[in-house]
Amino acid sequence: MSLKKKISMTVNGEAVSAEIDPRRHLVDFLREDLFLKGPHLGCEQGACGACTVKVNGQIIRGCLFLAVQADGSIVETIEGATKSGALEDLQNAFMRHNAMQCGFCSSGMLLAAAELIEKQPHATRAQVREWISGNYCRCTGYHSIVNAIVDVLSARANA
Amino acid sequence: MKAAQFDYVKPKTLSEALDLLVETGDDARLMAGGQTLLATLNMRLSEPSILIDITGITELKGISVQGESLRIGALVTHTEIEDSDLVAKHAPLLKLAVPHIAHRAIRNLGTWGGSLAYGDPAAEWPACSITLQATMIIRGPSGERRIGAEEFFIDLYTTSLEPDEILVATEIPIASKDQISYFNELARRHGDYAVAGIAAVAKKSGDVLRDCVFTFFSVGATPVVATKAQALIDGQELNDQLIKEAVEIARSEIEAIADLTNSAEAKQHLIGVLLERCLKDMLAQK
Amino acid sequence: MELNGEQLIAAPIPDVWRGLNDIDVLAKSIPGCEEISRVSPEEIHAKVMFKIGPVRARFSGKLLLSDVIPEQACSMAFEGSGGAAGFAKGRSRVELKLVDGGTLVSYTTEASIGGKLGQIGGRLISASAKKIADDFFQKFAKELGGEVIPLQSAPED
Repeated sequence: MSLKKKISMTVNGEAVSAEIDPRRHLVDFLREDLFLKGPHLGCEQGACGACTVKVNGQIIRGCLFLAVQADGSIVETIEGATKSGALEDLQNAFMRHNAMQCGFCSSGMLLAAAELIEKQPHATRAQVREWISGNYCRCTGYHSIVNAIVDVLSARANA
Repeated sequence: MKAAQFDYVKPKTLSEALDLLVETGDDARLMAGGQTLLATLNMRLSEPSILIDITGITELKGISVQGESLRIGALVTHTEIEDSDLVAKHAPLLKLAVPHIAHRAIRNLGTWGGSLAYGDPAAEWPACSITLQATMIIRGPSGERRIGAEEFFIDLYTTSLEPDEILVATEIPIASKDQISYFNELARRHGDYAVAGIAAVAKKSGDVLRDCVFTFFSVGATPVVATKAQALIDGQELNDQLIKEAVEIARSEIEAIADLTNSAEAKQHLIGVLLERCLKDMLAQK
Repeated sequence: MELNGEQLIAAPIPDVWRGLNDIDVLAKSIPGCEEISRVSPEEIHAKVMFKIGPVRARFSGKLLLSDVIPEQACSMAFEGSGGAAGFAKGRSRVELKLVDGGTLVSYTTEASIGGKLGQIGGRLISASAKKIADDFFQKFAKELGGEVIPLQSAPED
């Protein structure tokens, strides 16, 4: 007797249907079934933030969210956010400030930063640091990432 | 670390969910935000045969004012509490506590009811619910019942909830005009489990605090209320000497228990630190 | 991890000793006990479902008794496997003493918990173990028709 469930959702603007095991995480579904390798797997406990994706407009941990739960939802990964241009200034700032080395954390970091900029457009440096403390980076030491985000916040505030 | 195989069902109504619970018994796990449950399943520290996803049940959602009470549905997410004007106005303590809960991505899914139902000693909401004298509203096969927050939390990870019951909502008396709040949590890194924390309210007029509630969390198996320290402060003019005495009393009346990384002595000490910061802050508040 | 404690049970020593050696009493006292059997006078096998917070881990284990002084004391070595969740191993010494009010059961335990349960569940492992021990003695005392007398309220004030 199969436990598979039929699901359908929008991923990066495209309609997607599948039949999957309930235990399959959203991030595994995106990576393995849809070949969207942008989100990564780090801890599978919700601590590292590498698996961060957007569901119905908010960031969530792809490892703490089942693909079946995304039935009927709008899902966005870094691939979609890049294509739409929504992250252009953030991504440019990341490059300018050297906020990316191996790139493993970057997908999650950018999506988390984007939600901060949306929800707290006047965030201070301390608030930026607190907000991204849910995304681990092993390479950069974080300062360049914070600088990039602060840069975008002030650019948008002055725009 | 992938979860073991399980079936999945998403009931549309509360009665459907309750029937499913009875039918499936011990083999099922209820899922709300899933931020604790799914991490547990990922590590195979639990292998249920079926997950009952209750996030579709509208009866469990929403924040509203009903008479003199603020009603918060069990499925309200931490982010919804953070963004709610009603909470900011009628239960400002919760707004102070919310940024301490994990991180944004977790807060977007994790729920008020989920945190209360687990009764993790390091969690913020159980302590806040006690400080705010919340009433828990519970539904089971035999109908609805209500229980005060302090009675609800019985022991380590143990609440009054029976296996066939679901927490539906809480009702909190809306804050009076002279109510002030203080919340603080000490952790090694932001978002980590608390080493020690305090959730406090009081009614302030001049330098006098009345009806104070000082609830400490992550120092015992359940949140602990410092009743003796409260009695000392109540109705007295707050000054440095009184604060010092209150700190000493709080440290002696609460018997802290150690966890893996912090000794009982450390927690005992931090209880005093937190109370001091709380009282000084409350003294300075308008 | 160390777990040391004392429980005062309002029942005479022979009853308490008999209960501690009775498989049926143990089956009803051990929280989450699903199966228990005595394989030999010294060896007991059991399957126990541990429920603490979000964790539900089924442990299969065995208990080996030694250094038995009837109606006074005994040692136990135990080990259990919780499958993917982890494993536990340890030793315990239990002593019975007649006191005012009933039987004082003192126990000292040293245990190591490995695997995921140890790493992740470890944060509150001492508190969890204490709770399980407390639950055990509550049920155990009830089975004997007695009760656990809280030691703090012992006649001293």
